[in-house]
Amino acid sequence: MARLRIERLSKAFGGVVAVQAVDLDVAEGEFVSLLGPSGCGKTTTLRCVAGLEEPTVGRILFGERDVTRLPPEQRLIGMVFQSYALFPHMTVGDNIDFALQMRGVRGDEAGRRIAGVLDTVQLKGMEARYPRELSGGQQQRVALARALVAEPELLLLDEPLANLDAKLREEMRFFIRSLQRRLQITTLYVTHDQSEAMIMSDRIVVMFGGRIHQTGRPEDIYHRPATAEVANFIGQANMLKGTVVEWREGVATVAAAWGRFRCGTSRPVPEGSLVTAMVRPEALRLANGADRSEMTGRIVARHFLGNVLDYRVGLADGTVVCVQAMAGSFPPEGATVSLKIDQDKVWLLR
Amino acid sequence: MRRWLLALPAMLMVGLFVVVPYLNIVVMSFRAPSPSAIYGPGFTLDNYARILSDPLYLGLLKDTLLYALGTTSLCFAIGFPVAYHLARTESRWRGLLYAGVLSPLLTGVVIRCFGWIVLLANNGVINQLLGLAGLGPYRLMYNPVGVTIALVHVFLPFMILPIMNAIQSVDPRLSEAARTMGASSARTFVRVVLPLSLPGVQSGVILVFVLSASAYIIPMLLGGGQVSTTPTVVVQQLMGSLLWPFGATLALVLSFTALIVVALFGAATRRAMRGVA
Repeated sequence: MARLRIERLSKAFGGVVAVQAVDLDVAEGEFVSLLGPSGCGKTTTLRCVAGLEEPTVGRILFGERDVTRLPPEQRLIGMVFQSYALFPHMTVGDNIDFALQMRGVRGDEAGRRIAGVLDTVQLKGMEARYPRELSGGQQQRVALARALVAEPELLLLDEPLANLDAKLREEMRFFIRSLQRRLQITTLYVTHDQSEAMIMSDRIVVMFGGRIHQTGRPEDIYHRPATAEVANFIGQANMLKGTVVEWREGVATVAAAWGRFRCGTSRPVPEGSLVTAMVRPEALRLANGADRSEMTGRIVARHFLGNVLDYRVGLADGTVVCVQAMAGSFPPEGATVSLKIDQDKVWLLR
Repeated sequence: MRRWLLALPAMLMVGLFVVVPYLNIVVMSFRAPSPSAIYGPGFTLDNYARILSDPLYLGLLKDTLLYALGTTSLCFAIGFPVAYHLARTESRWRGLLYAGVLSPLLTGVVIRCFGWIVLLANNGVINQLLGLAGLGPYRLMYNPVGVTIALVHVFLPFMILPIMNAIQSVDPRLSEAARTMGASSARTFVRVVLPLSLPGVQSGVILVFVLSASAYIIPMLLGGGQVSTTPTVVVQQLMGSLLWPFGATLALVLSFTALIVVALFGAATRRAMRGVA
C-alpha cells in the first residue's frame, strides 16, 4: 500500500493537451475517483499513473519513490481495464498466474494465492475455464483477481463497470468497494458515472477539459460544487443569476429580478458582482398561488416520474428551474406558484 | 432461394477446373508410358515404385522441401516484424508501407525474375557495386542462393498479410495489461502477442510453404538449369521427355508430401492455439 502523489501533471498528444497541471494526493488506503465526461483527461491521468503514457510535464510518486520515468512493469500496480483485457489464450488460473510469475511467485505459493484470490472474488473452482466461457460479470471479477493477486501498491481501475448491465453494475459497485475496504488498498478509479463515483469513493476528483475543477468528498461535490460544470455534471442543478448585495462570513445575499436569496460560499465576494448560484431541485418546494414568498413563477411544464412530479417553473427573469414535488397537489401547467427555497442549500459558484 | 445455390458457381468452377483435372492426373499416374501415345494400355504401379526407390527423385523431393522450408523460415523471420509494425503503426506512411508490401504482386513473376537477374548476375548491379569496394564477384544466381532470394521476395506478402490481420485483431490493451502485471515488453511479446497471432502465422506459413514447394518459374529462371526441384523435373517429363504418366506421378507425390507436412504443422500448432480466436 502506498500513498500516491501527482504533481503538476500535464500530457499533450501532438499539439492536443489532454491533461493540464493536475495535482492530486491519494492517501494510503483511500479510494479516489476521477470523474468527468469522455475526453476530460481522466483516463489519460490514470494511464500516466500506470506508466502507459509518459507525462509531458510533472511528477508521479508512489510513497517517496518517483516513478515518473519508470515503465509500467516496474511500478507494482494492479490495473483493471474497461474491456477487462483477459488473455483469451489462457485459462482463468493461467491469467492470474501470469501476474504472479511476472513478480517471481511460483509453485505452491502461487497455487495458494490463486485459490485465495478466486475465493475472494467469489469464483472458486473456475481456474480451468477460459475467459470466453465466463459471463461479463465473471470476467470482470477475474480481471480484478488478476490485478490484486500480486498485492500491488496501487489499484487502478479504468471504467471497469461500463460494460456490465445495470443490475450487475450496481452489485459490483458494492463488491469492489467492500473488497477495497477489506484490503485497504490505495485505489484510483476512473468513471463517467456520477452515482458510481458517489457511492464508491472517499473522495471524488471532477475533471473537465484536462483540468481538475474540484476535489472533495461526495457530499462536498454535491452540495458545494465549485463550478457550474461540476454542479450540472453531478445530478440536476438549477442556476440562479443575480447581483451580490451583501457578503458576510460565508453567506452572500443576492438580488435577482424575481427577488432575493441567500447562498453559501467559501470565498469573499465583493458587493455588486454578478454571480451564479446553484440549488438542487429537492431544495425547492412548491406552494399554490402567489403568496408573500420572495420567489414566484409560472409552471411551464409538468412530467410524471412515478414517485414524484417534475415541474419546470419559469421565473420573472426568464430562468427556468426544475422542482420536484411528491405527487399529490398537482398544480396544472400555466398556474402561478410560489417557491420556498431551502436557503442552506443554495451555493455560490465560481 | 436455397442458400447452397449461391455457392453453385464457385462449386462448378472448383469441380470443373480443380477436381476433374486432379482426378485425371491421378488416373494418369497409374498408366504405363508409351512411345507413340500419351500413355500405353493398362494400369501399373511402376511409376510410384520408380520414384520411391530412386535416390535421384527422393533427393529431388528433399531439395524441394528444403527450398520451401528455407523460404518459409526466411519469410517468417523477415515478415513478422513488418507485419507487427504495419498492424500497430499510426504513421501516415502506413498506406505507402502497405503498398510496398503488396508490390511484389503487382508485376508478373517472369518480369520480377528478370529484375533479379539484372541485380544478381555475375556482371549485375550488385556485383558491380561490390567490385567498386574491391569485393567479389560472387555467384549470386544460377544456384540455390538466387532461387531462394527470389522465392522469398515473391512470397513475402503471403506471410505478412495474414500475420498483420491476426495482430490487428489482438487488442492492444492485452499488451498493456501484461506490462502492468510486471512483464517486460519482450516477455509481453513472447507470452501474449506471439501466441495470439498464431492463427495468422499458421496461414502465412502454410501459404508460403505450399507456394514455394510448387514454384516452377523462379527455380527455372534463377536456377538457369543448374537448380532442379520437383516442379522443374515434372515439367521436363511432360514437355521434354513426353513421359506424361511419370510426370503425373511425380507431381502427385510432391502434392501428397506437401499435404503431409502441412498436416503435421497443423497438428503441432493446434495445441499451441487452444483458446485463440
